[in-house]
Amino acid sequence: MSIYQQHLENYKAKKFANQGQLDTIMAVKYHIDDHFQEELNLDVLSTEGFVSKFHMLRLFKKYHGQTPSQYLTGKRLEKAKELLKTGASVTETCYAVGFKSLGSFSALFKRRNNISPKEFQKRATLKK
Amino acid sequence: MKVTVISIPVRDQQHALDFYTKKLGFIKKLDIPINETDRWLTLVSPEDQDGVQLVLEPAPLHFEPSRVYQDALKEAGFPYTQFDVENVQEEYDRLLGLDVEFSVAPTDMGTVKIAVFDDTCGNNIQLVEYL
Repeated sequence: MSIYQQHLENYKAKKFANQGQLDTIMAVKYHIDDHFQEELNLDVLSTEGFVSKFHMLRLFKKYHGQTPSQYLTGKRLEKAKELLKTGASVTETCYAVGFKSLGSFSALFKRRNNISPKEFQKRATLKK
Repeated sequence: MKVTVISIPVRDQQHALDFYTKKLGFIKKLDIPINETDRWLTLVSPEDQDGVQLVLEPAPLHFEPSRVYQDALKEAGFPYTQFDVENVQEEYDRLLGLDVEFSVAPTDMGTVKIAVFDDTCGNNIQLVEYL
């Protein structure tokens, strides 16, 4: 067994010893994956995982390295790119992935990608 | 600042280019001669061709500490570079069919599934699937 394989075994035993916690937090993640277009907040997500919202927040960060809100935003932006590539309008995309304001969506998209949703779509279409 | 390139040390750039394009499926982006033997050789993912480029860096040939470091990582089984995939098991099966050797078979690690293979260029590479 290599040093890295030993390292993996030790890490797994230490980090993922609590299967119940892992199951809970994976259930929350899968809920976000399946319902990202809906209005989600900590109350809804903690109900999904059957834990208190602050406990869920701590657990989510512990296992996924980011808050549920950050993960949700990333998921929505990832899905927005997919939709824009298929030719959906910026407005359609914005609401389809769960954003409530076109202005906020466009500003966030540009801040994260250094390019507006419209320009992103234009470039993606040109490549086809 | 923006991340545009990451380097992977290789002993033979042409061999690495063949492995990374023909077996792993990357696309050659830049190929610029540097001198009689070395090239500025970069690759991109097919699904992110304007994204981060992977430089096939021949440093171990010219800089002893680079070679020593690469050998030590290889010997210990440590992957210094990892690539995300949609499905580790499928990629594992596909690469096994192309005679790629794995030191770690698909393994669940809590929130991810991983596998580690030998890139035949002196490196262990880790595949990661976010579960």
